[in-house]
Amino acid sequence: MATFRVSSEADVVEVVRGARESRRTLEIVGHGTKRGFGRLVECDDVLDLSGLSGIVSYEPDEMIMTARAGTPVAEIEAALAEHNQRLGFEPADWGPLFGTPAKSATIGGVISANCDGSAAIRYGRCRDHLLGFRAVNGFGEAYKGGGKVVKNVTGFDLPKLFCGAMGTLGPLTEVTLRAFPRAPIAAVFRIPDLSMERGLALLRRVWSSPLESPSLAFHASTALIRLESFQAAIDEKIAMLRNLSEPEPQRIDDDADSVFRRIASGQMVESEGLLWRIHLPPANAAALIGDIQPNSWCADWAGGLLWLASDGDAHAIAVTLNSRAIVVRGDSSIPPFAPEDRVRAQLTKRVKAAFDPLQLFNPGRIWEGV
Amino acid sequence: MIALPEPDPEILSRGGEIVAALKRLVPDGVVSEPAGLAAYDGDALAAYRQTPLVCVLPKSKEEVSAVLAFAHEMGVPIVPRGAGTSLSGGALPRADGILLGFGRMNRILELDLENRCVVAEPGVTNAAITRAAEGHGFYYAPDPSSQIACTIGGNIAENSGGLHCLKYGLTTHNLLGVEFALPDGERVRFGGKAPGGDGLDLLGAITGSEGLLGVVVEATVRILPKPPVTRTLLAAFHSVPDTGQCVANIIAAGIVPAAMEFMDRRCIEAVEMYCAPGYPKSEAILIIEIDGLAAEVAQGVTQVSEIARGSGAHEVCEAADEAERARFWKGRKAAFSAMGRLAPDMLCMDGTIPRRALPAVLARMAEMAEEYSLGFCNVFHAGDGNLHPLIIFDVMTPGELERAEAFGAEILRLCVGVGGVLTGEHGVGVEKRDLMPEMFSDADLAQQQRLKCAFDAGGLLNPGKVFPTLSACIEQGHAHVKRGAMRHAELPRF
Repeated sequence: MATFRVSSEADVVEVVRGARESRRTLEIVGHGTKRGFGRLVECDDVLDLSGLSGIVSYEPDEMIMTARAGTPVAEIEAALAEHNQRLGFEPADWGPLFGTPAKSATIGGVISANCDGSAAIRYGRCRDHLLGFRAVNGFGEAYKGGGKVVKNVTGFDLPKLFCGAMGTLGPLTEVTLRAFPRAPIAAVFRIPDLSMERGLALLRRVWSSPLESPSLAFHASTALIRLESFQAAIDEKIAMLRNLSEPEPQRIDDDADSVFRRIASGQMVESEGLLWRIHLPPANAAALIGDIQPNSWCADWAGGLLWLASDGDAHAIAVTLNSRAIVVRGDSSIPPFAPEDRVRAQLTKRVKAAFDPLQLFNPGRIWEGV
Repeated sequence: MIALPEPDPEILSRGGEIVAALKRLVPDGVVSEPAGLAAYDGDALAAYRQTPLVCVLPKSKEEVSAVLAFAHEMGVPIVPRGAGTSLSGGALPRADGILLGFGRMNRILELDLENRCVVAEPGVTNAAITRAAEGHGFYYAPDPSSQIACTIGGNIAENSGGLHCLKYGLTTHNLLGVEFALPDGERVRFGGKAPGGDGLDLLGAITGSEGLLGVVVEATVRILPKPPVTRTLLAAFHSVPDTGQCVANIIAAGIVPAAMEFMDRRCIEAVEMYCAPGYPKSEAILIIEIDGLAAEVAQGVTQVSEIARGSGAHEVCEAADEAERARFWKGRKAAFSAMGRLAPDMLCMDGTIPRRALPAVLARMAEMAEEYSLGFCNVFHAGDGNLHPLIIFDVMTPGELERAEAFGAEILRLCVGVGGVLTGEHGVGVEKRDLMPEMFSDADLAQQQRLKCAFDAGGLLNPGKVFPTLSACIEQGHAHVKRGAMRHAELPRF
C-alpha cells in the first residue's frame, strides 16, 4: 500500500490517473480523524490531502472564503474570527469520538462527512454553505462545480452532492464557503428539571417563535437555548424567552459556543458501543426515544437531531417515524447508513458511476458499491 | 436568436397515436386541439414560442408516472411545466414533445405546524403555501415576483429566489423533501419532513435541475414564523457608484437585511410614469427592508441609515406606515411592467456578481448600453449581487433582437469576468444555454452531463435546455471532449 501525499491539484490528477490505469482503489483522507465513520473500506492506496492546505482567498467584505480541501477547519475558523465572522454550520469536531486529536479535522473532511453543528438549524447546514468546489473525478479530470457567489443557479448544484458524500465521488481539492457575521452578543440559557416531553415541547415552542435561536438542545432533563443579538436588543429576546418558558430560564456563563460544540460533537452521550445520530421531524423525538430506549441521549436542532447510545438496530425504528439514522461510531454489526429502497439504490449507484465509474474512490464507504 | 430544434418527423408522424394513448392514461386531461394548445406555447421568455405536440395535465402522481413511462417507452421528449412563468425558457415546449403540465395537481396535502412544514402537490402556487400557513403565524420564505402564479414544482426545478433570499435563502434552503418521478416513471423519495441523513444529497442535486432530471410530484417545504416587525427604508443617491458602495458597506458591516433592492434612474422614471410611487429624484435608490424583533430591527435601521448617509445618500427615509411601505414597494414590483410599456419587447438578465464589483460593473453596463444604443435599466437584488438588467427593444425592428441578445450576452460575460455567474435565480433554460461555456470548461460541463445521464440516460427530459451540446450518454464517459470539437456533430442542436 502506498500513501500519496499531494500538495496541488495537478498532483491529485496524476495520482488518480495512475490509480485509473492500474485499477487501484484510493482511500481519500485529510488528517484521518474520521476514518472510523462509514463502512470499513480496504483500499489499495491512500490519497492524503492534508498537504493540499491553505486559504486561497478570503474577502471579509464578501463573506466568502476559498480554501484548499486539506486546510484545517481550525485555521479557517481563526481567519474568519479575526473579522468577526464564522461558518454558520459550526463544523462539529468528531475526531475525539474516534480517538484522534481534537481540532485537527480538515474542511474537506468535515464537508464530506456532513459534520453539521448546532447552529445549522438557524444558519443552514454544511450543504447550504458550500457554494462551489474543485475536484478530480474518476476520469482523472479536474473540474469545478457551483460558483463563488451567494446566489447561483447556473447548471446543476453539484456542491450539494459533495456534502456527506464521504469521498465517494472523488477528492475535493478546493472549496468555496459562505461565512456569516458573528453576533455581537450570544447568551446561553438552561432550563433544568424538565421531563423529556416538556423539554422537547419547549424547544419546539422557541423554534416556532421569532427568536431565531441558533441552538435548541436538550440533555439530562435540561433544555439549553442560545440567543444572539446586538447588545441593545438581547434583553428583548431574553424577555420573550421568559414568556415562552414556564420554569425560569437561567443564564449561564459558559462560553456560548462550547456547550453546543460538545453536543454537536457527540460528546454529551455516554457510549461505549454504538453511537447514533438521527435526523427526524422534531415532533417525533419523544416517540423515537420511547421506542429505542437509548442508554443515553441528547437532542439538538429543537429535537430534529438526536444523538444516542443504543446497541439495538435504530434504523428499523427510525423509518417508522419518518426519521433517518446513521451510526457515527460502531462496529461492523450494523450498517452505518440505512439501506435505500430499490429504485433509489439503483439511482445512487448511477450517480456514483457518473463521477467514479471504476469505483476508485472510497468504494463501499456509504453502501456496498457506493 | 437561439435556434429552436427541427422536430423529429418520426415522432410527428405518430402524433395521433401518441395523443390517443395519452387519452387512455389521463382520460380528462389531454389538450391536443390547436386552440387549446395555443395557451401552452411558451413561458415568460416571450420571444420564443413553440406549440407542443400535445399537452397532458395529470391529476395524480400515478398519472404522472404513467405518462413518463409511456414517453420513455415511445422515445418521446417531455417538457415539464408548472405555471409557465420561467424567464429563461425552462418550460418552452417542443413540437415533437409532450408538455407535462402540473396545473391540476394543486392541493395542499398537509399543514404540519408541529414540524413547521407544508406538504403540497407540485402545482400549488408559491403564494398558496403562505396562504395555508399564515393564519397560524407562519409563511413560506422564497418569494419570486411571480409568486401568485408560479408553482412550487417549478420553484424547485428552477431553485427560485426572490426579494427576500438575502436573509432567507433560495428554494433549496427551504425545501425538506420531495417525491420525485424519474424519466421511466419510477418514483423515489429524497429527504422528508426532516432534511439530511439519507446518503448522497440527491434532493440538493435535483433542486434547480430545470426539469432535466425528473419531475417533482410532491414537495415538503419549511415554513418560518412571521417576523413581528418589518421596517422599510428608502435611500436615494445622486451617483450609481455611491449606491453600489452603500450596498457593499452594509454587507461588510455584517448586517443581513431581509431585502435590499436597487433601481436606477431610468427604471425610476419608467415606474413614475407607470404607477407614480413618488420616489425622490435621483440617479439610483435602494429599498432596504429589515425584519425581526422590534429592538433588533431598530438597531438595524439606525445602522443602515448611518451607512447610507455615509455612503453619499442625499435622502434616507423610512416608511411611516403600511401604506407608505406598500408605496415604496409598488414601484419596485412594477419595474418589469413599467419597462415593458416603453417598448414591445424586453430581455431580463440575471447574472450574480461579487458585491464589491457592483460599482465597476454598473459603470461598464452603462457604457455598453450606449454602444448598443438600446433602452436599458437596472433593477436588482443588490444584497446578494443578483443583477437584473432590463433591455428593451422591438423584435419587429430588423436586427434589434440580435443586438439585444448580444448586449445581454456581453453583460453576462462581464458578470463571469468579475467572478460572478450567468444566472442567480432565473435558470439557464434556453436563454443562457449557449453561454454556459463562458463559465464552465468542457470538463465542468461534461461532469454535469454525466449527472444528467445518471438520471435520464435517454435524454428525453427537457432536451435542448441548459447544455449547449446534446450529450449522448455513452457508458463510462469514454467519449473525450476535445476543446473546440463539437461532441456528436451528427446530433441535432438547438
